[in-house]
Amino acid sequence: MSRVWKRIILLISAFSLIAVTVLLLVYFAPVPPTGEMEAARKALSSAATNKADTYSRKLYNQANVYYDSAMVNWKRQNRIFFYFRDYEKVISYANLSEMKAIEAENNSLISSSGLKSRLQPKIESLSNLVIELDLLFDSYPLTEETRNRISRGKLLLEEAKIALKNGIYLQANRKLTDSEYLLTESFESATENLTNYFKSYSLWKKWVEMTVNESKRKDDYSIIIDKFSRKCYVYFNGRQKYIFDAELGKNWVGDKRLKGDMATPEGMYKITKKFDGRKTKYYKALLLDYPNDEDTARFRAEIEKGSLPPNAKIGSLIEIHGNGGKGIDWTEGCVALTDKEMDIVFKIVKIGTPVTIVGSLTDLDAILNK
Amino acid sequence: MKNKVLMGLAAIAMVAVLSSCGKVPQEKIDATNTAITAAQTAEAAVYVPAEFAAVQDSMKAIMAEVEVQNGKLFKNFKNVTVKLDQTLAAANQVAANAAVKKEEVKKEVEALMTEIKAVVEENTGLMKKAPRGKEGAAVLEAFKTDMATIEASIAEAQGLYDKGAYMDADNKVKAAKERAVGINTELKEAIAKVKRK
Repeated sequence: MSRVWKRIILLISAFSLIAVTVLLLVYFAPVPPTGEMEAARKALSSAATNKADTYSRKLYNQANVYYDSAMVNWKRQNRIFFYFRDYEKVISYANLSEMKAIEAENNSLISSSGLKSRLQPKIESLSNLVIELDLLFDSYPLTEETRNRISRGKLLLEEAKIALKNGIYLQANRKLTDSEYLLTESFESATENLTNYFKSYSLWKKWVEMTVNESKRKDDYSIIIDKFSRKCYVYFNGRQKYIFDAELGKNWVGDKRLKGDMATPEGMYKITKKFDGRKTKYYKALLLDYPNDEDTARFRAEIEKGSLPPNAKIGSLIEIHGNGGKGIDWTEGCVALTDKEMDIVFKIVKIGTPVTIVGSLTDLDAILNK
Repeated sequence: MKNKVLMGLAAIAMVAVLSSCGKVPQEKIDATNTAITAAQTAEAAVYVPAEFAAVQDSMKAIMAEVEVQNGKLFKNFKNVTVKLDQTLAAANQVAANAAVKKEEVKKEVEALMTEIKAVVEENTGLMKKAPRGKEGAAVLEAFKTDMATIEASIAEAQGLYDKGAYMDADNKVKAAKERAVGINTELKEAIAKVKRK
Protein backbone atom coordinates (compact mmCIF):
# COMPACT_ATOMS: atom_id res chain seq x y z
CA MET A 1 0.00 0.00 0.00
CA SER A 2 1.37 3.27 -0.97
CA ARG A 3 1.99 6.01 1.57
CA VAL A 4 -0.74 8.15 -0.01
CA TRP A 5 -3.40 5.52 0.56
CA LYS A 6 -2.23 4.98 4.09
CA ARG A 7 -2.65 8.69 4.77
CA ILE A 8 -6.10 8.74 3.16
CA ILE A 9 -7.26 5.79 5.25
CA LEU A 10 -5.85 7.40 8.40
CA LEU A 11 -7.60 10.67 7.63
CA ILE A 12 -10.92 8.96 6.90
CA SER A 13 -10.63 6.96 10.12
CA ALA A 14 -9.88 10.08 12.11
CA PHE A 15 -12.82 11.94 10.54
CA SER A 16 -15.09 8.96 11.06
CA LEU A 17 -14.06 8.75 14.68
CA ILE A 18 -14.72 12.45 15.16
CA ALA A 19 -18.03 12.19 13.32
CA VAL A 20 -19.16 9.18 15.38
CA THR A 21 -18.08 10.93 18.59
CA VAL A 22 -19.98 14.06 17.60
CA LEU A 23 -23.02 12.02 16.61
CA LEU A 24 -22.91 10.11 19.88
CA LEU A 25 -22.57 13.35 21.81
CA VAL A 26 -25.50 14.84 19.95
CA TYR A 27 -27.54 11.67 20.37
CA PHE A 28 -26.97 11.45 24.10
CA ALA A 29 -27.13 15.21 24.72
CA PRO A 30 -30.07 16.38 26.88
CA VAL A 31 -33.21 17.13 24.87
CA PRO A 32 -34.34 20.79 25.15
CA PRO A 33 -37.63 21.22 27.06
CA THR A 34 -39.58 22.43 24.03
CA GLY A 35 -42.69 20.36 24.77
CA GLU A 36 -42.89 21.37 28.44
CA MET A 37 -42.38 25.04 27.61
CA GLU A 38 -45.05 24.96 24.93
CA ALA A 39 -47.49 23.22 27.26
CA ALA A 40 -46.84 25.86 29.93
CA ARG A 41 -47.27 28.69 27.42
CA LYS A 42 -50.54 27.25 26.10
CA ALA A 43 -51.84 26.77 29.62
CA LEU A 44 -50.99 30.40 30.43
CA SER A 45 -52.69 31.60 27.26
CA SER A 46 -55.80 29.57 28.01
CA ALA A 47 -55.85 30.87 31.59
CA ALA A 48 -55.61 34.44 30.31
CA THR A 49 -58.47 33.81 27.87
CA ASN A 50 -60.57 32.67 30.81
CA LYS A 51 -59.72 35.83 32.74
CA ALA A 52 -57.51 34.13 35.32
CA ASP A 53 -55.57 37.40 35.49
CA THR A 54 -58.72 38.91 36.99
CA TYR A 55 -60.44 36.12 38.90
CA SER A 56 -57.40 34.12 40.02
CA ARG A 57 -54.71 36.76 39.91
CA LYS A 58 -52.41 35.24 42.53
CA LEU A 59 -52.21 31.81 40.89
CA TYR A 60 -51.95 33.32 37.42
CA ASN A 61 -49.08 35.57 38.51
CA GLN A 62 -47.34 32.59 40.09
CA ALA A 63 -47.70 30.67 36.82
CA ASN A 64 -46.12 33.59 34.95
CA VAL A 65 -43.27 33.84 37.44
CA TYR A 66 -42.56 30.11 37.02
CA TYR A 67 -42.64 30.48 33.23
CA ASP A 68 -40.17 33.38 33.37
CA SER A 69 -37.93 31.36 35.68
CA ALA A 70 -38.03 28.48 33.19
CA MET A 71 -37.00 30.84 30.38
CA VAL A 72 -34.14 32.32 32.42
CA ASN A 73 -32.85 28.85 33.25
CA TRP A 74 -33.20 27.71 29.64
CA LYS A 75 -31.09 30.67 28.51
CA ARG A 76 -28.52 29.86 31.19
CA GLN A 77 -28.31 26.24 30.04
CA ASN A 78 -27.93 27.27 26.41
CA ARG A 79 -24.69 29.04 27.33
CA ILE A 80 -23.21 25.73 28.54
CA PHE A 81 -21.65 23.19 26.13
CA PHE A 82 -24.58 21.23 24.78
CA TYR A 83 -23.55 17.87 26.19
CA PHE A 84 -23.37 19.22 29.72
CA ARG A 85 -26.69 21.01 29.71
CA ASP A 86 -29.17 20.14 32.41
CA TYR A 87 -32.80 21.08 31.73
CA GLU A 88 -34.17 19.60 34.91
CA LYS A 89 -34.82 23.00 36.51
CA VAL A 90 -36.30 24.35 33.28
CA ILE A 91 -38.67 21.40 33.04
CA SER A 92 -39.54 21.66 36.70
CA TYR A 93 -40.40 25.38 36.37
CA ALA A 94 -42.29 24.79 33.12
CA ASN A 95 -44.33 22.02 34.74
CA LEU A 96 -45.03 24.18 37.77
CA SER A 97 -46.05 27.02 35.47
CA GLU A 98 -48.42 24.75 33.55
CA MET A 99 -49.87 23.33 36.74
CA LYS A 100 -50.44 26.76 38.29
CA ALA A 101 -51.89 28.12 35.02
CA ILE A 102 -54.38 25.23 34.84
CA GLU A 103 -55.23 25.72 38.49
CA ALA A 104 -55.63 29.47 37.90
CA GLU A 105 -57.90 28.83 34.92
CA ASN A 106 -60.09 26.39 36.83
CA ASN A 107 -60.20 28.71 39.78
CA SER A 108 -61.09 31.61 37.53
CA LEU A 109 -63.90 29.67 35.87
CA ILE A 110 -65.32 28.60 39.22
CA SER A 111 -64.92 32.06 40.74
CA SER A 112 -66.40 33.94 37.81
CA SER A 113 -69.34 31.59 37.30
CA GLY A 114 -69.90 31.42 41.06
CA LEU A 115 -69.77 35.18 41.26
CA LYS A 116 -72.10 35.55 38.29
CA SER A 117 -74.64 33.17 39.80
CA ARG A 118 -74.46 34.97 43.14
CA LEU A 119 -74.81 38.43 41.61
CA GLN A 120 -78.18 37.93 39.94
CA PRO A 121 -80.11 36.94 43.08
CA LYS A 122 -78.34 39.71 45.00
CA ILE A 123 -79.49 42.23 42.40
CA GLU A 124 -83.03 40.90 42.64
CA SER A 125 -83.02 41.03 46.42
CA LEU A 126 -81.69 44.60 46.43
CA SER A 127 -84.23 45.63 43.79
CA ASN A 128 -86.95 44.28 46.08
CA LEU A 129 -85.46 46.19 48.97
CA VAL A 130 -85.62 49.36 46.86
CA ILE A 131 -89.32 48.72 46.17
CA GLU A 132 -89.94 48.14 49.86
CA LEU A 133 -88.04 51.30 50.80
CA ASP A 134 -90.07 53.30 48.29
CA LEU A 135 -93.35 51.86 49.54
CA LEU A 136 -92.67 52.33 53.21
CA PHE A 137 -90.65 55.50 53.35
CA ASP A 138 -91.57 57.55 50.28
CA SER A 139 -93.45 60.04 52.40
CA TYR A 140 -91.76 59.25 55.69
CA PRO A 141 -89.56 62.08 56.92
CA LEU A 142 -86.23 60.34 56.70
CA THR A 143 -83.17 62.47 57.34
CA GLU A 144 -81.53 64.09 54.34
CA GLU A 145 -78.50 61.90 54.92
CA THR A 146 -80.64 58.73 54.81
CA ARG A 147 -82.40 59.93 51.64
CA ASN A 148 -79.01 60.58 50.03
CA ARG A 149 -77.75 57.17 51.06
CA ILE A 150 -80.82 55.49 49.57
CA SER A 151 -80.40 57.48 46.37
CA ARG A 152 -76.70 56.58 46.10
CA GLY A 153 -77.52 52.97 46.84
CA LYS A 154 -80.06 52.92 44.00
CA LEU A 155 -77.56 54.39 41.54
CA LEU A 156 -74.87 51.93 42.58
CA LEU A 157 -77.37 49.13 42.05
CA GLU A 158 -77.92 50.43 38.51
CA GLU A 159 -74.14 50.54 37.93
CA ALA A 160 -73.85 46.96 39.20
CA LYS A 161 -76.53 45.83 36.74
CA ILE A 162 -74.58 47.39 33.85
CA ALA A 163 -71.28 45.86 35.02
CA LEU A 164 -72.97 42.43 35.26
CA LYS A 165 -74.39 42.86 31.75
CA ASN A 166 -70.88 43.67 30.47
CA GLY A 167 -69.43 40.61 32.21
CA ILE A 168 -67.33 42.68 34.64
CA TYR A 169 -68.32 40.57 37.60
CA LEU A 170 -65.78 41.83 40.11
CA GLN A 171 -66.78 45.43 39.49
CA ALA A 172 -70.45 44.44 39.67
CA ASN A 173 -69.79 42.70 42.97
CA ARG A 174 -67.98 45.73 44.41
CA LYS A 175 -70.81 48.06 43.39
CA LEU A 176 -73.41 45.65 44.78
CA THR A 177 -71.58 45.41 48.08
CA ASP A 178 -71.53 49.21 48.38
CA SER A 179 -75.16 49.45 47.28
CA GLU A 180 -76.19 46.71 49.73
CA TYR A 181 -74.43 48.50 52.57
CA LEU A 182 -76.12 51.82 51.81
CA LEU A 183 -79.60 50.40 51.20
CA THR A 184 -79.62 47.84 54.01
CA GLU A 185 -78.23 50.27 56.52
CA SER A 186 -80.77 52.91 55.49
CA PHE A 187 -83.59 50.37 55.63
CA GLU A 188 -82.54 49.15 59.07
CA SER A 189 -82.19 52.62 60.55
CA ALA A 190 -85.49 53.73 58.99
CA THR A 191 -87.25 50.59 60.24
CA GLU A 192 -85.77 51.07 63.70
CA ASN A 193 -87.03 54.61 63.63
CA LEU A 194 -90.44 53.37 62.53
CA THR A 195 -90.50 50.72 65.26
CA ASN A 196 -89.70 53.34 67.88
CA TYR A 197 -92.41 55.50 66.42
CA PHE A 198 -94.97 52.73 66.92
CA LYS A 199 -93.99 52.06 70.55
CA SER A 200 -96.92 54.15 71.79
CA TYR A 201 -99.44 52.32 69.60
CA SER A 202 -101.44 50.84 72.53
CA LEU A 203 -101.77 54.30 74.07
CA TRP A 204 -102.90 55.77 70.76
CA LYS A 205 -105.49 53.01 70.46
CA LYS A 206 -106.83 53.87 73.91
CA TRP A 207 -107.00 57.58 73.04
CA VAL A 208 -108.91 56.86 69.86
CA GLU A 209 -111.42 54.65 71.69
CA MET A 210 -111.95 57.34 74.30
CA THR A 211 -112.41 60.03 71.64
CA VAL A 212 -114.91 57.99 69.62
CA ASN A 213 -116.79 57.05 72.79
CA GLU A 214 -116.94 60.68 73.85
CA SER A 215 -118.40 61.60 70.47
CA LYS A 216 -121.03 58.89 70.99
CA ARG A 217 -121.75 59.77 74.59
CA LYS A 218 -122.13 63.46 73.86
CA ASP A 219 -123.80 62.93 70.49
CA ASP A 220 -121.33 65.39 69.10
CA TYR A 221 -118.34 65.79 66.80
CA SER A 222 -114.78 64.78 67.52
CA ILE A 223 -111.71 64.72 65.32
CA ILE A 224 -108.98 62.11 65.06
CA ILE A 225 -105.75 62.75 63.18
CA ASP A 226 -103.77 59.71 62.02
CA LYS A 227 -100.27 61.02 61.38
CA PHE A 228 -98.89 57.93 59.63
CA SER A 229 -101.64 57.68 57.03
CA ARG A 230 -102.04 61.49 57.05
CA LYS A 231 -105.76 61.32 57.51
CA CYS A 232 -108.19 63.49 59.39
CA TYR A 233 -111.27 61.56 60.58
CA VAL A 234 -114.36 63.44 61.69
CA TYR A 235 -116.69 61.46 63.95
CA PHE A 236 -120.24 62.25 64.89
CA ASN A 237 -122.13 60.26 67.48
CA GLY A 238 -119.41 57.61 67.44
CA ARG A 239 -119.57 57.19 63.68
CA GLN A 240 -117.11 58.24 61.07
CA LYS A 241 -118.60 61.06 59.05
CA TYR A 242 -115.70 62.48 57.01
CA ILE A 243 -112.19 61.47 56.02
CA PHE A 244 -109.80 64.11 54.73
CA ASP A 245 -106.17 64.06 53.67
CA ALA A 246 -104.03 65.90 56.18
CA GLU A 247 -100.62 67.50 55.93
CA LEU A 248 -98.37 67.68 58.94
CA GLY A 249 -95.20 69.21 60.31
CA LYS A 250 -92.08 68.69 58.21
CA ASN A 251 -90.68 66.49 60.96
CA TRP A 252 -93.86 64.68 61.90
CA VAL A 253 -92.35 61.44 63.17
CA GLY A 254 -92.51 61.20 66.95
CA ASP A 255 -94.09 63.42 69.49
CA LYS A 256 -93.45 67.16 69.61
CA ARG A 257 -90.73 67.85 72.17
CA LEU A 258 -89.94 71.55 71.90
CA LYS A 259 -90.63 74.74 70.04
CA GLY A 260 -89.34 74.80 66.50
CA ASP A 261 -88.84 71.01 66.09
CA MET A 262 -91.41 71.01 63.25
CA ALA A 263 -93.15 68.01 64.83
CA THR A 264 -96.90 67.52 65.10
CA PRO A 265 -97.77 66.66 68.72
CA GLU A 266 -99.54 63.47 69.79
CA GLY A 267 -102.19 63.66 72.45
CA MET A 268 -105.81 64.34 73.35
CA TYR A 269 -106.59 67.98 72.80
CA LYS A 270 -109.57 70.29 72.54
CA ILE A 271 -110.32 73.19 70.27
CA THR A 272 -109.80 76.41 72.21
CA LYS A 273 -110.31 79.06 69.52
CA LYS A 274 -111.65 79.37 66.00
CA PHE A 275 -110.04 81.86 63.60
CA ASP A 276 -111.16 83.02 60.20
CA GLY A 277 -110.77 86.03 57.98
CA ARG A 278 -107.91 88.29 59.04
CA LYS A 279 -107.38 86.44 62.30
CA THR A 280 -105.40 83.74 60.51
CA LYS A 281 -103.05 83.57 57.54
CA TYR A 282 -104.11 79.98 56.83
CA TYR A 283 -107.64 80.66 55.54
CA LYS A 284 -109.38 79.24 58.64
CA ALA A 285 -107.84 77.79 61.78
CA LEU A 286 -108.81 75.83 64.90
CA LEU A 287 -106.41 76.42 67.79
CA LEU A 288 -105.72 73.42 70.04
CA ASP A 289 -104.89 73.43 73.74
CA TYR A 290 -101.32 72.31 73.09
CA PRO A 291 -99.39 72.02 75.35
CA ASN A 292 -101.77 70.16 77.66
CA ASP A 293 -100.79 69.05 81.17
CA GLU A 294 -99.18 65.84 79.95
CA ASP A 295 -97.13 67.69 77.34
CA THR A 296 -95.94 70.18 79.93
CA ALA A 297 -95.02 67.44 82.43
CA ARG A 298 -93.11 65.51 79.79
CA PHE A 299 -91.31 68.65 78.63
CA ARG A 300 -90.25 69.52 82.21
CA ALA A 301 -89.06 65.97 82.82
CA GLU A 302 -86.92 66.17 79.71
CA ILE A 303 -85.41 69.46 80.84
CA GLU A 304 -84.65 67.95 84.24
CA LYS A 305 -83.16 64.84 82.67
CA GLY A 306 -81.01 67.04 80.49
CA SER A 307 -82.29 65.51 77.24
CA LEU A 308 -83.49 69.01 76.32
CA PRO A 309 -81.44 72.18 76.82
CA PRO A 310 -82.48 74.27 79.87
CA ASN A 311 -83.42 77.22 77.66
CA ALA A 312 -85.67 75.12 75.42
CA LYS A 313 -89.29 76.24 74.99
CA ILE A 314 -92.26 73.93 74.70
CA GLY A 315 -93.95 75.70 71.79
CA SER A 316 -97.59 76.52 71.21
CA LEU A 317 -100.13 77.60 68.58
CA ILE A 318 -100.79 74.14 67.22
CA GLU A 319 -103.78 74.39 64.91
CA ILE A 320 -105.83 72.58 62.33
CA HIS A 321 -105.83 75.06 59.50
CA GLY A 322 -106.39 75.58 55.77
CA ASN A 323 -103.98 76.14 52.86
CA GLY A 324 -103.41 72.38 52.62
CA GLY A 325 -103.44 70.20 49.53
CA LYS A 326 -99.75 70.77 48.74
CA GLY A 327 -99.01 67.07 48.88
CA ILE A 328 -96.12 67.39 51.29
CA ASP A 329 -95.70 67.82 55.01
CA TRP A 330 -94.89 71.47 55.21
CA THR A 331 -96.32 72.95 58.41
CA GLU A 332 -94.36 73.83 61.54
CA GLY A 333 -96.30 71.24 63.53
CA CYS A 334 -99.92 72.05 62.67
CA VAL A 335 -102.38 69.93 60.69
CA ALA A 336 -103.32 71.40 57.29
CA LEU A 337 -106.46 70.59 55.31
CA THR A 338 -107.58 72.03 52.00
CA ASP A 339 -109.64 75.21 52.27
CA LYS A 340 -112.72 73.36 51.07
CA GLU A 341 -112.35 70.70 53.75
CA MET A 342 -111.56 73.37 56.30
CA ASP A 343 -114.89 75.03 55.51
CA ILE A 344 -116.70 71.80 56.43
CA VAL A 345 -114.76 71.19 59.61
CA PHE A 346 -114.89 74.83 60.68
CA LYS A 347 -118.65 74.80 60.34
CA ILE A 348 -119.33 71.66 62.38
CA VAL A 349 -116.89 71.95 65.28
CA LYS A 350 -117.06 74.26 68.28
CA ILE A 351 -114.82 75.35 71.14
CA GLY A 352 -114.19 72.24 73.20
CA THR A 353 -114.52 69.74 70.36
CA PRO A 354 -112.01 66.94 71.08
CA VAL A 355 -109.10 66.58 68.64
CA THR A 356 -106.97 63.50 69.20
CA ILE A 357 -103.71 63.23 67.30
CA VAL A 358 -102.14 59.76 67.14
CA GLY A 359 -99.12 58.30 65.41
CA SER A 360 -101.20 55.67 63.67
CA LEU A 361 -104.56 53.94 63.75
CA THR A 362 -103.04 50.80 62.26
CA ASP A 363 -100.33 48.77 63.97
CA LEU A 364 -96.88 48.39 62.46
CA ASP A 365 -97.24 44.70 61.55
CA ALA A 366 -100.36 45.43 59.52
CA ILE A 367 -98.58 48.30 57.76
CA LEU A 368 -95.51 46.17 56.99
CA ASN A 369 -97.63 43.27 55.74
CA LYS A 370 -99.63 45.60 53.59
CA MET B 1 -2.97 26.52 -5.63
CA LYS B 2 -6.18 27.13 -7.50
CA ASN B 3 -7.89 24.34 -5.47
CA LYS B 4 -6.77 25.85 -2.18
CA VAL B 5 -8.21 29.24 -3.15
CA LEU B 6 -11.52 27.63 -4.12
CA MET B 7 -11.62 25.65 -0.85
CA GLY B 8 -10.96 28.84 1.09
CA LEU B 9 -13.73 30.72 -0.69
CA ALA B 10 -16.15 27.86 -0.12
CA ALA B 11 -15.30 27.82 3.58
CA ILE B 12 -15.84 31.60 3.85
CA ALA B 13 -19.16 31.31 1.99
CA MET B 14 -20.21 28.47 4.29
CA VAL B 15 -19.34 30.47 7.40
CA ALA B 16 -21.16 33.52 5.97
CA VAL B 17 -24.29 31.49 5.25
CA LEU B 18 -24.24 29.79 8.65
CA SER B 19 -23.56 33.00 10.53
CA SER B 20 -26.27 34.94 8.68
CA CYS B 21 -28.89 32.38 9.74
CA GLY B 22 -27.39 31.78 13.18
CA LYS B 23 -27.55 35.23 14.73
CA VAL B 24 -30.33 36.12 17.19
CA PRO B 25 -32.45 38.86 15.54
CA GLN B 26 -32.12 41.04 18.64
CA GLU B 27 -33.07 44.25 16.88
CA LYS B 28 -36.34 42.74 15.70
CA ILE B 29 -36.98 41.30 19.14
CA ASP B 30 -36.43 44.70 20.70
CA ALA B 31 -38.62 46.38 18.09
CA THR B 32 -41.42 43.88 18.70
CA ASN B 33 -41.16 44.27 22.47
CA THR B 34 -41.29 48.05 22.03
CA ALA B 35 -44.40 47.69 19.86
CA ILE B 36 -46.03 45.47 22.54
CA THR B 37 -45.19 48.02 25.23
CA ALA B 38 -46.68 50.73 23.00
CA ALA B 39 -49.85 48.64 22.65
CA GLN B 40 -49.97 48.28 26.41
CA THR B 41 -49.54 52.03 26.81
CA ALA B 42 -52.42 52.47 24.35
CA GLU B 43 -54.48 50.45 26.90
CA ALA B 44 -54.87 47.50 24.55
CA ALA B 45 -55.42 45.31 27.62
CA VAL B 46 -58.51 47.40 28.43
CA TYR B 47 -59.96 48.06 24.98
CA VAL B 48 -58.90 44.98 22.94
CA PRO B 49 -57.92 42.44 25.62
CA ALA B 50 -58.20 39.31 23.46
CA GLU B 51 -56.04 40.73 20.66
CA PHE B 52 -53.46 41.96 23.13
CA ALA B 53 -53.30 38.60 24.88
CA ALA B 54 -52.78 36.90 21.49
CA VAL B 55 -49.81 39.18 20.70
CA GLN B 56 -48.27 38.54 24.11
CA ASP B 57 -48.67 34.80 23.58
CA SER B 58 -47.04 35.03 20.14
CA MET B 59 -44.07 36.81 21.67
CA LYS B 60 -43.74 34.15 24.34
CA ALA B 61 -43.76 31.45 21.62
CA ILE B 62 -41.11 33.35 19.65
CA MET B 63 -38.83 33.69 22.66
CA ALA B 64 -39.16 29.95 23.27
CA GLU B 65 -38.26 29.34 19.62
CA VAL B 66 -35.20 31.62 20.03
CA GLU B 67 -34.01 29.43 22.88
CA VAL B 68 -34.66 26.30 20.84
CA GLN B 69 -32.37 27.70 18.11
CA ASN B 70 -29.84 28.97 20.66
CA GLY B 71 -29.51 25.41 21.90
CA LYS B 72 -28.64 24.04 18.46
CA LEU B 73 -25.18 23.67 16.92
CA PHE B 74 -26.38 25.14 13.65
CA LYS B 75 -28.78 27.92 14.55
CA ASN B 76 -31.43 29.07 12.16
CA PHE B 77 -33.50 32.13 13.09
CA LYS B 78 -35.24 32.48 9.73
CA ASN B 79 -38.55 31.25 11.08
CA VAL B 80 -38.15 33.39 14.20
CA THR B 81 -37.52 36.45 12.03
CA VAL B 82 -40.65 35.81 9.99
CA LYS B 83 -42.73 35.37 13.15
CA LEU B 84 -41.21 38.49 14.67
CA ASP B 85 -42.19 40.49 11.61
CA GLN B 86 -45.74 39.15 11.88
CA THR B 87 -45.94 39.83 15.62
CA LEU B 88 -44.51 43.31 15.21
CA ALA B 89 -47.19 44.06 12.63
CA ALA B 90 -49.84 42.50 14.88
CA ALA B 91 -48.67 44.54 17.90
CA ASN B 92 -48.84 47.74 15.85
CA GLN B 93 -52.31 46.74 14.67
CA VAL B 94 -53.43 45.98 18.22
CA ALA B 95 -52.19 49.42 19.35
CA ALA B 96 -54.08 51.02 16.47
CA ASN B 97 -57.22 48.98 17.22
CA ALA B 98 -57.01 49.94 20.89
CA ALA B 99 -56.76 53.60 19.91
CA VAL B 100 -59.78 53.24 17.60
CA LYS B 101 -61.81 51.43 20.28
CA LYS B 102 -60.77 53.98 22.89
CA GLU B 103 -61.88 56.78 20.60
CA GLU B 104 -65.19 54.98 20.03
CA VAL B 105 -65.79 54.68 23.77
CA LYS B 106 -64.73 58.31 24.23
CA LYS B 107 -67.24 59.41 21.60
CA GLU B 108 -69.90 57.22 23.22
CA VAL B 109 -69.24 58.83 26.61
CA GLU B 110 -69.43 62.29 25.02
CA ALA B 111 -72.74 61.41 23.35
CA LEU B 112 -74.09 59.92 26.59
CA MET B 113 -73.00 63.01 28.51
CA THR B 114 -74.87 65.24 26.09
CA GLU B 115 -77.92 62.98 26.26
CA ILE B 116 -77.97 62.71 30.03
CA LYS B 117 -77.54 66.45 30.46
CA ALA B 118 -80.54 66.94 28.20
CA VAL B 119 -82.57 64.41 30.22
CA VAL B 120 -81.56 66.09 33.49
CA GLU B 121 -82.57 69.46 32.09
CA GLU B 122 -85.85 68.05 30.85
CA ASN B 123 -86.48 66.46 34.25
CA THR B 124 -85.93 69.80 35.96
CA GLY B 125 -88.59 71.30 33.68
CA LEU B 126 -90.94 68.35 34.15
CA MET B 127 -90.67 68.59 37.92
CA LYS B 128 -92.14 72.05 37.74
CA LYS B 129 -95.11 70.73 35.78
CA ALA B 130 -95.56 67.52 37.76
CA PRO B 131 -98.67 67.14 39.97
CA ARG B 132 -98.12 68.17 43.55
CA GLY B 133 -101.23 66.64 45.03
CA LYS B 134 -101.25 64.01 47.72
CA GLU B 135 -98.01 62.02 47.61
CA GLY B 136 -97.00 63.73 44.36
CA ALA B 137 -94.99 66.37 46.14
CA ALA B 138 -93.39 63.82 48.44
CA VAL B 139 -92.33 61.76 45.43
CA LEU B 140 -90.98 64.92 43.81
CA GLU B 141 -88.89 65.55 46.91
CA ALA B 142 -87.44 62.05 46.54
CA PHE B 143 -86.81 62.70 42.83
CA LYS B 144 -84.97 65.89 43.74
CA THR B 145 -82.58 63.87 45.90
CA ASP B 146 -82.19 61.33 43.10
CA MET B 147 -81.47 64.09 40.58
CA ALA B 148 -78.81 65.53 42.88
CA THR B 149 -77.23 62.06 43.12
CA ILE B 150 -77.37 61.70 39.34
CA GLU B 151 -75.71 65.08 38.87
CA ALA B 152 -72.97 64.08 41.32
CA SER B 153 -72.52 60.87 39.34
CA ILE B 154 -72.27 62.83 36.07
CA ALA B 155 -69.58 65.01 37.67
CA GLU B 156 -67.76 61.84 38.75
CA ALA B 157 -68.04 60.43 35.22
CA GLN B 158 -66.70 63.72 33.84
CA GLY B 159 -63.71 63.40 36.19
CA LEU B 160 -63.05 59.87 34.90
CA TYR B 161 -63.42 61.12 31.33
CA ASP B 162 -60.93 63.93 31.96
CA LYS B 163 -58.48 61.36 33.32
CA GLY B 164 -58.93 59.28 30.16
CA ALA B 165 -60.67 56.42 31.99
CA TYR B 166 -63.36 56.27 29.30
CA MET B 167 -64.53 52.73 30.02
CA ASP B 168 -65.24 53.53 33.69
CA ALA B 169 -66.83 56.85 32.72
CA ASP B 170 -68.99 54.99 30.18
CA ASN B 171 -70.33 52.54 32.77
CA LYS B 172 -71.01 55.32 35.28
CA VAL B 173 -72.79 57.61 32.85
CA LYS B 174 -74.86 54.72 31.44
CA ALA B 175 -76.17 53.90 34.93
CA ALA B 176 -76.88 57.56 35.65
CA LYS B 177 -78.72 57.87 32.34
CA GLU B 178 -80.77 54.77 33.07
CA ARG B 179 -81.88 56.30 36.38
CA ALA B 180 -82.52 59.74 34.88
CA VAL B 181 -84.59 58.22 32.07
CA GLY B 182 -86.56 56.24 34.68
CA ILE B 183 -87.40 59.44 36.54
CA ASN B 184 -88.24 61.13 33.22
CA THR B 185 -90.71 58.35 32.36
CA GLU B 186 -92.34 58.51 35.80
CA LEU B 187 -92.67 62.27 35.58
CA LYS B 188 -94.18 62.13 32.09
CA GLU B 189 -96.63 59.42 33.17
CA ALA B 190 -97.69 61.45 36.21
CA ILE B 191 -98.23 64.56 34.07
CA ALA B 192 -100.15 62.58 31.42
CA LYS B 193 -102.33 61.03 34.14
CA VAL B 194 -103.31 64.45 35.40
CA LYS B 195 -104.06 65.66 31.85
CA ARG B 196 -106.29 62.63 31.18
CA LYS B 197 -108.31 63.44 34.29
